[in-house]
Amino acid sequence: MGSQTEPVTQWALTMLVCVLIGTCLLIAVALFRHRQQNRYSRYLRSLESNYRPILATLLSGRPTAQGINTLRALPLADLELLFDPLFSVGGVGQKHVAVLQALCTELGLIQLWQHRLTAGEEPKARRGSPRGTSLRPPAPSLLHLLLRAKSIRNLGVLRHQPSWPLLVRALDDPHPDIQSVALRSLATIRAPGSFPALVGRLHTVVLGKSASPSPRALKAALACFDLTCSAALLSSLRHPHRRIRFLGTDILRVMVCRDAALESDFLLRSEVCSPGIAEILLTNLCRDRSAEVRGRAAEVIAFLADPRATSVLYKLLFDPLWYVRLRAVRTLAKPRHSTPYLLLGIRDCLRDSHWRVREAAMQTLISLGRRGRQQLYEHFLTSQDQATREQIVEVIERSGLMASLVEGYGEGAGGVEALIVEQFASEAAPLGLSGVLRMSNPDVRQKFLERFLPVAHFKMQLQEETPLEASAGMGLQQVLEFPSVLAA
Amino acid sequence: MSSLRLFLKDSITFFNLLILSYFFLGNGIYTILMLLSLRATWIHTRRLAYQGLDALRGSPLTPPVTILIPAWNEQDVIVNSLRSALQVDYPELGVIVVDDGSTDLTLDRLVESFHLLEMDGAYRPSIPTAPIRAFYMNPEIPNLLVVSKVRGGKPDALNAGINLCRSPYFCNLDADCLLERDALLRLMDPIVNSAAETVVSGGIVRILNGCETRNGRVTKVGLPPRVLERFQVVEYLRSFLFGRTGWHLLGGTLIVSGAFAVFHRATVIEAGGFCHDTVTEDMDLIVQLHHWAADNNRKIRMSFTSDPVCWTECPSNLTMLARQRRRWQLGLCQTLWKHSEILFGRKYGIVGWLSFPFHSYVEGLGAAAEFLGYLLVPLGILLGLVPPFFLVVFILLGFIYGSFLSVGAVLLEELTYRRYPRFRDLLTLLVFAMFENAGYRQLILYYRFQGVLKFLAGSRRWEKVAHAGANA
Repeated sequence: MGSQTEPVTQWALTMLVCVLIGTCLLIAVALFRHRQQNRYSRYLRSLESNYRPILATLLSGRPTAQGINTLRALPLADLELLFDPLFSVGGVGQKHVAVLQALCTELGLIQLWQHRLTAGEEPKARRGSPRGTSLRPPAPSLLHLLLRAKSIRNLGVLRHQPSWPLLVRALDDPHPDIQSVALRSLATIRAPGSFPALVGRLHTVVLGKSASPSPRALKAALACFDLTCSAALLSSLRHPHRRIRFLGTDILRVMVCRDAALESDFLLRSEVCSPGIAEILLTNLCRDRSAEVRGRAAEVIAFLADPRATSVLYKLLFDPLWYVRLRAVRTLAKPRHSTPYLLLGIRDCLRDSHWRVREAAMQTLISLGRRGRQQLYEHFLTSQDQATREQIVEVIERSGLMASLVEGYGEGAGGVEALIVEQFASEAAPLGLSGVLRMSNPDVRQKFLERFLPVAHFKMQLQEETPLEASAGMGLQQVLEFPSVLAA
Repeated sequence: MSSLRLFLKDSITFFNLLILSYFFLGNGIYTILMLLSLRATWIHTRRLAYQGLDALRGSPLTPPVTILIPAWNEQDVIVNSLRSALQVDYPELGVIVVDDGSTDLTLDRLVESFHLLEMDGAYRPSIPTAPIRAFYMNPEIPNLLVVSKVRGGKPDALNAGINLCRSPYFCNLDADCLLERDALLRLMDPIVNSAAETVVSGGIVRILNGCETRNGRVTKVGLPPRVLERFQVVEYLRSFLFGRTGWHLLGGTLIVSGAFAVFHRATVIEAGGFCHDTVTEDMDLIVQLHHWAADNNRKIRMSFTSDPVCWTECPSNLTMLARQRRRWQLGLCQTLWKHSEILFGRKYGIVGWLSFPFHSYVEGLGAAAEFLGYLLVPLGILLGLVPPFFLVVFILLGFIYGSFLSVGAVLLEELTYRRYPRFRDLLTLLVFAMFENAGYRQLILYYRFQGVLKFLAGSRRWEKVAHAGANA
């Protein structure tokens, strides 16, 4: 037994020693790394303290030959270290980009970054073979990969227009990181020339001919381009593949919504959107087999100046699929859609079978201003459907409209606004109304109660006469308790 | 007498083999995970320089996310946690706090701090839950909704949150956690930029004890003062930096921290939501999703990234630590037992053939085997039933190799994120990593063994861990 276990014990002891040595080695590496990192941080700090003031002066738009010469004397690696924070998240402001670009050109950094992109594509000569004759693609080192990715990022941050062909070529890089950074940089540069190439790439990715970048990343990048580039999307909008049509429509939607957010009376005129696109939206995409496409198309159609748009949108409000109706009714939340014809359609959506469509219709009516709100209040006052009435109360409370209704009521507002407040008070659960009254300032409360209490007492009398309405009067009772609550 | 001795000897030999295999398998796989993570995490930290968070933040196509905070008797921490959630930098963010029938001032503190008004609301559940009592909102903070419901447990509160949220993704966040400002953007990055359908994205959970906080934000990172808490810092580093990362790299993610993770809402609803029959609803959901995907022939991806940070308070005394670890072990055993058909199931791939067996054998049964080993190996040697070399092997595998792995985790932290940049902190972490296996590990093992016993006894009790108030 003893002779058998001896080698095993020796083996175990050897292992023990090895693991102990390994642990000590890891500790040594951690300590060494800590020291190295601290030295590196100190070096960075000294670089920054020596040159950051010069850089700041140059970036402020006061270039001096002496300043540029001082920076030029630095090795390129140090220059990159010094400039790196400017290219990181939130590093450089929009207004400094042009100055920074000029400075980087002057210092040769742009040429360096461009060179890194082209150099990565050249085959590396093997030892002993004539330079450049090897057909074997280089296996880029990790460091090289990081440097290239940062170079691409920097060109993007600088919005360096002449670099876009290089970036489009970088999309064919075998490493997905390089592809992603190149895509983001192209989206930042927004060179119109690169748009068709990206659309083509989107098609190949969706059709499975290429695995990366992801369709979602491509869509996000394409959506950053100017709307004037959208003519190149026609091929996607006409494509037989459902997903490509969807992505094309969605990209167009994002472009349009972005521009519309900047301009209150935005319309898709022929200068920014080709007539072909308007035609395909009004004739094909609004009737597409895919509900996703129809829904997205509705949002673009809402901005078309074409007179056919209104009837197309009206039809989409009654699409068989709730999702399309939801998109359509949401997209009508713009003042120019508050025409009697469309208001009627939106009001019909208050009776939709899907609660999300009903809710969207309520929100749309609220955002359409006084005319929209009137429709909503009238529906509340006349509807027999308790679920819809409760939903209207909920939407009004959540939109913060209750406070203005209470204030208006106290100020003597009449019509449906006054009726709806009185109606709310007699609902079973006027929680929002109670809350608003509790939180509002004493003046508003006082005025509200002065007007409301006589009505309330009248209703109380009615309740006593008709016991069936007693349950509905619970809410009213709560409101009537307010004077004592306020006094307390 | 000799036959009894023979029986004892055979039994102990068998047990020794079991212990050896447990240690070899556990340490072997952990070593592989460590090596994989060392490279991957180092590369990942370098890639952060060109990650493109600005593009994600500025894109109208970045999917909306709702943070769900289930809370039960969290009056001391809830306000800060909610403040932290509302400060998260994300383009389209909603926050839902589900007060799960608290008996303390949780709801009152929320109403008071965020000027909430009780409002009317409709509840349309996709997953059945206990009834909702009230909805609270402040029109000035339109992205915040607080609901109060009848107590149904944490999974029930999370399901109520899922029912109420409208966004395609939700992020569950424990009520004692603080999020870093860009944590959600970083967590969504692998979802947005992946060609595959990523349904889960998990981030790292770090220990808040010892850090300085202000208004729901961590302002200064530091090591906790107590020995028990410091051991947990090392443990969390090992668990998250190379445990979770390694399994993610192998495609065998089985655990994503329920304290902080993003899920695809529709997929979770299809898979049935959070279940009530285990005490670790987070792990149960992940395993359930693997199950569901395999049954429905769906290709899904689960991601883990180590740069989105969520700070959580760890137990600062033995009683709370014991409760936490017993619950984790009980939940692990319950989940593994509940989904036992995944074990070596062909359709589950790496999860069925590597991850699930590893968790069952090393993390589940291993707790009992190792604990018994500490009792039986010395006994066997005393009785002359076990050869002395076995003690050397046992010490090597149980103590020394564990220290090697813990030191590796500290090295990984130093090579990558360096959240503890002071030399003194690094030295402290290294010392605690060295000695983690001489006392602390055995203590944890004892609690885990209790968890296994509770599982065998059929317990389902959720042991509440009270917070000392590091986040308060």
